[in-house]
Amino acid sequence: MSAPRPARLAAPAVLADGRGLSGGMLRQLFIGQCMVLALHLAWMPAWLVALALAVAGYRLVQLRRRLPRAGILLRLAAVGGLVLALWLQFGTLGTMDGLVGLLLGVYLLKLLETHDRRDARVVVVIGLVTTAVAFLHDQGIPMAAGALLAVAWLLQSLVWLSGATGLRQAWRETAWLLALSAPLMAVLFVAFPRLGPLWSMPQMDRASTGLTDEISPGDIAELSRSDARAFRARFEGREPAPDERYWRVYTLSHFDGIRWSRATPDQLAVALERPGDAFVREGSRSPWQAQDGARFSAELLLEPDSRPWRPSLGTPLESDSRQRYLADGTLEGLTPLSSRSLLRLSSSGAPPVNPDPAGERWHRLLPDDTNPRTRTLAERLWRESGGDPDAYLEAMMARFGEAPYRYTLSPPRLVGEHRVDDFLFDSQAGYCTYYASAAAVMARMAGIPARVVAGFLGGERHPDGHFTIRDYDAHAWVEVWREGAWRRLDPTAVIAPERIEQGPQAVDGGAETFLADARFSPLRMREVGWVNHLRLEWERLEYRWQRGVIGYQRESRRSLMAQLVGWWREVWARLDALLPGRGAMTTALGLMAMLVVAAGLVLLARRGWQHHRRQRDERWLVGSLQAWLARHGLAAHAGESPAAHLRRIAPQAGPAGRALEECARDLERLAYAPLEEAERRQRRRRLSHRVAEVRRRLPRQRRGPSGAGA
Amino acid sequence: MSVATAAATRPRLPGRLRHWWLRRLAASLEHPLPQRRLFLIPTRFGLGWAVLVVVLLLFGINYQNSLAYGLAFWLFSVGVVVLLRGWLNLLGVIPGLRLPREAFAGGEARLGVVLRARRDRTALELYCDGARGRVDIVDGLGEAELALPTLRRGAQALPWLRIETRWPLGLVRVVAWVRHDAELLVWPRPVEEDEPVVRHGGAGLEASDFAGLRRFQPGDSPGRVAWKQWSRTGVLATKAFSVPPRQQLWLDYATCRGDPERRLSVLCARVLAHHRAGDRYGLRLLGLTLAQGEGEAQRRRALDALARFPAPRSGGMA
Repeated sequence: MSAPRPARLAAPAVLADGRGLSGGMLRQLFIGQCMVLALHLAWMPAWLVALALAVAGYRLVQLRRRLPRAGILLRLAAVGGLVLALWLQFGTLGTMDGLVGLLLGVYLLKLLETHDRRDARVVVVIGLVTTAVAFLHDQGIPMAAGALLAVAWLLQSLVWLSGATGLRQAWRETAWLLALSAPLMAVLFVAFPRLGPLWSMPQMDRASTGLTDEISPGDIAELSRSDARAFRARFEGREPAPDERYWRVYTLSHFDGIRWSRATPDQLAVALERPGDAFVREGSRSPWQAQDGARFSAELLLEPDSRPWRPSLGTPLESDSRQRYLADGTLEGLTPLSSRSLLRLSSSGAPPVNPDPAGERWHRLLPDDTNPRTRTLAERLWRESGGDPDAYLEAMMARFGEAPYRYTLSPPRLVGEHRVDDFLFDSQAGYCTYYASAAAVMARMAGIPARVVAGFLGGERHPDGHFTIRDYDAHAWVEVWREGAWRRLDPTAVIAPERIEQGPQAVDGGAETFLADARFSPLRMREVGWVNHLRLEWERLEYRWQRGVIGYQRESRRSLMAQLVGWWREVWARLDALLPGRGAMTTALGLMAMLVVAAGLVLLARRGWQHHRRQRDERWLVGSLQAWLARHGLAAHAGESPAAHLRRIAPQAGPAGRALEECARDLERLAYAPLEEAERRQRRRRLSHRVAEVRRRLPRQRRGPSGAGA
Repeated sequence: MSVATAAATRPRLPGRLRHWWLRRLAASLEHPLPQRRLFLIPTRFGLGWAVLVVVLLLFGINYQNSLAYGLAFWLFSVGVVVLLRGWLNLLGVIPGLRLPREAFAGGEARLGVVLRARRDRTALELYCDGARGRVDIVDGLGEAELALPTLRRGAQALPWLRIETRWPLGLVRVVAWVRHDAELLVWPRPVEEDEPVVRHGGAGLEASDFAGLRRFQPGDSPGRVAWKQWSRTGVLATKAFSVPPRQQLWLDYATCRGDPERRLSVLCARVLAHHRAGDRYGLRLLGLTLAQGEGEAQRRRALDALARFPAPRSGGMA
């Protein structure tokens, strides 16, 4: 307590009048504000820092020069300025960003009118709320660590407000509070039932990462510039080989001559005048395809996105929660994801086998007057293959395999009206979208139902077995309807097989665009061994955190609880098996017996401890020795001191005589002599040894109430 | 007595019920505060904290946000731990009182409160009759003085002492009431008479009459050493002089003017003045006569008598 502490922090939080806050407390609050603001800063406008500094500067000047408090006009003007600035920044205050900005701004401005203890506590509480709101931006490990620091600081501010007198004391109390409450927090976190959202709240606007549902040249090259994570997957059972990792997300079945776009179930239902459930059904199993073909069972950890897409390896068959199963063999969630969440999914690993209810005609539609050169080529190939669709498709793919087609992530721009023509006959360079688009167009020209599938291909496998699929893994390929099933055609695999095996970074000519926007991404350092190792370790930790802590929602809680119950049952069964007999009664009896034994052990330990304590107390020792001697017929006379008693009986005690003499001397020394603590301890120990010796050596024939000493 | 006062200060419950209830509530002096006498009362901030936890929980539920869940649970757990820490901060504290040596009406009595405990304690607040103080127990001992306003003359039972603590976060108030029978004797408020007291001689109290020799003691003034005696006998001796009788006077209630309280106040001022002057004085009150005397003991006796004097009905015997 009396340790020297820095003078500047020794000032109490509250001034001597019992109300006003000291300058040190205001600084505490300001630092807390800065820490909370730092949690938000990556997502919020930077001028909030200036606001914080301005408010703190104002308070500093006010305290130094003893200026009057900020008046109502100044405060109103500050709030008005804040609202205006937010409005200029976001265009509206209705979005989540605007609301968070408002909360932050009010939190910072509150310092202007913080004058007494109650105000300071309000500031701290707003700070805690603002810390929680920061979790809307991100829930990663760095955010959690930062929030922990901020909360510790805020709690420490509260400790100061409650009358701490020193820095050490305040931090020690804070540490105690946090440490003692952590176990209870963990138990509550695990055991508290997880509910669905009770009412809808304004959501954070997420920039859509991942795929677009409209493909025109350029889109996927944009994706390949980003290393943002799309989702992570862990397989139960077999893992897919590299060339099986086709994650289907959307099918694009409408072509307007330039771009392929997605026809949503609603659009299809309207356009084809069919009921909506012909194209999509909710459930936890696919209504379109039998479940027996499931080959992969994966647990997906999905990143938040503003659209409800869910990837599946091949055709989705069964999920652990209700989803929207689309008739084209893709999956949608019921709502967009506002935070990372887990999805268990089993899928076929292959294109769907059910016909699309939109019909074959829908998948043959092409604008008549576009791409004449391609049409000529298709007619020639069709003739050469003798009208056999399979031979035609083979010839088409073979043609892609011929030079001079090359795979590049930075192809020449195509702006004309006949883009497929321009690509196939002029530029002859492109990436997956170009090839998939051309292949689908050519298939449709021959009357074969075809569609483009947008999704992901590949993913990085981590040493612990989970896969990370990133934006640059986005891919597009073609599915054609042949003989009662959709068949996958991937022209990119013909042109750049290394793209399939090793990912987009492996392709020559893609290097300069690959990760162009992520200049400092650790993914650029794949070749440096230890950096890559560190990155993988960090990602593994992050994955565990996201999966175990952040993804701990309803399903995971249920399964963990089931596991705990299972363990308990197992322990119970083991106990049951250990005990003789069968049934709950014996178990209960056994448990009771164990309790009794435990209680007995505790009692014994206490007795032992007491005995140990008494060994240190010379009066108790000698008292017990005297009682013992009395039982052996050597009781003390009335009014005789213990030492005199022991000395008197020493001559009659035979071999125990010397020990008795020494007992008496030690006892007197301990009682009357001013001894050092060390010597005192030593003498006590000797005394207890002598007492034991007396008990050992006293002649046995004296036993019995002979009354010799009385 | 003390219960009556406590009840008088808060006349909300019927007296007997309150009596019984307070007896049950209160702890006693010089004993460690027991578990059953500590009361946990949430503060307004504590209620706000509960609201905060609920709000964060709803936030976590509605946004399905695990970290918000975690923060809500952590703050809840901190609240639970605060109960324990606050309770332990007050449990086992041994309260003691140090009564003020003197207190005049109209001023304040400085009541010393001594708290002992084995562990260090922080931010204990003391309340007694509107006065408040703060104590930290460091190395087993903490002391504070409470300035109690003394309004009336006479023997007064002190109200109960309330010890509470809001440590460590101010979410909860741990309160203990300490029962005691301490009585404070408040002397009258000294009031100078309008006309100065006529002093009859006796001011010069210089010892003048030679009364003999006594053995020299270190510290005797050299001026009083009997040097002649020393030169004759070689024995150091000091001349002793007898002190003339000081002013001997009686302070009489009956000779004062004004209402009884004023008379007592005047008498009080005169007692103080005569004590300062070193006079010998006695006190005559209605039905009580204090023999003449001097010194600190006489002053205390006189002031105590004034304090305990049962005031006759005003306007009675003038």
